[in-house]
Amino acid sequence: MKTDDLIRAISADTLRQPHLRTMLVLGMLPSLVIAFLALWLVLGFRADLTTALVTPISLVRIILMGMLGIVATRLALLMARPEGGQLARFWPLAAVAAAAFGLVLWAYVATPEDARQMAAVGKTMTKCLVTIPMLSVLPVATLLYVLRQGATTAPMRAGFVAGLAGSGLAAAIYALHCTEDSPLFYVTWYGLAIMGVTLVSTFLGARVLRW
Amino acid sequence: MAEQGYVWEQLLMAANAGDARAYGRFLQAVTPVLRGIVRAKGGSLGDAGCEDVLQEVLFAIHLKRHTWEASSPVRPWLYAITRYKVVDAFRARGRKIDVPIEDFADVLAADAGPDPTDAADMEKMIGMLDGRSATIIRKIGLEGVSVAETGAALTMSEGAVRVALHRALKTLAILRERHVK
Repeated sequence: MKTDDLIRAISADTLRQPHLRTMLVLGMLPSLVIAFLALWLVLGFRADLTTALVTPISLVRIILMGMLGIVATRLALLMARPEGGQLARFWPLAAVAAAAFGLVLWAYVATPEDARQMAAVGKTMTKCLVTIPMLSVLPVATLLYVLRQGATTAPMRAGFVAGLAGSGLAAAIYALHCTEDSPLFYVTWYGLAIMGVTLVSTFLGARVLRW
Repeated sequence: MAEQGYVWEQLLMAANAGDARAYGRFLQAVTPVLRGIVRAKGGSLGDAGCEDVLQEVLFAIHLKRHTWEASSPVRPWLYAITRYKVVDAFRARGRKIDVPIEDFADVLAADAGPDPTDAADMEKMIGMLDGRSATIIRKIGLEGVSVAETGAALTMSEGAVRVALHRALKTLAILRERHVK
């Protein structure tokens, strides 16, 4: 078949494909709602949620995780495009990491020496390390699916941002349940959970996002 | 050159909105440029081999055309796909090549080259499709029959022909990659 003939056949196929952004929104909304409902129904919100939502020290954690999730989701959407690998700038992720580091420094100074270890270890680290990855499964899977429908030219990096995005959003949802407000706790343990999910997603990306 | 780039965006935008003629013009316009790139990078494959790689790139563009963001320029998008697929195609043929994206600018200025020879692989692949899909591809591609007329000839609705064509092209793209690997 000559290339001209192939072009004729291809150009006759005008079946429209859904836009990536549409696909992302249609996939992520239900994923996040399900994760939210699962947390609500299984673990429940923290008893003082309404107060916590207006208390800066409690709120900042939700905002930090939410920012990570949103920044990384936007990056994932960009990485789904073939030229996205060249366009993507990772400094917003570094900014979120710097904010987390700043919070840890502040908490370290503000927490009395004999209370530091207790604040960092907390009482719920196992629950945190189990729940955040579980809540991440659906959002990360959705993002990887959308990336597969796209055309990433950097599969590993795309898997990496998908992992950060999904687990960041999952951590923001988990933060509605968790009462450990010290950055010494949540930057450590949320961070560890997020890193674990991201590691898996990075390697998954390298395998499943090639086309 | 800048004006030509502007036209590409217009054409692809219309194509993604379902305009088959604009889509055909877009593909006709980019093909000589892509052929230049493939030949410059993979001359050792011979003209027919290069044409096969070019057709793989065209398939990739087709199947991923919805990933182009209408607000951004076509060229970076097009070259990113081309680069990815050219590297992939050469790797599958046991050749390692390095395709720095900056090189593309030089290639573009070069002449697109003579009329293509028949791509060698394609006919084999079409033979591997089911009978009806092969007929649809041959009618629309080789004979230049319209979707509507193809439908009438096969007693299928236009919509059904479109869906069958879409699936057949997808299958062809997969068959080709598997065949080379």
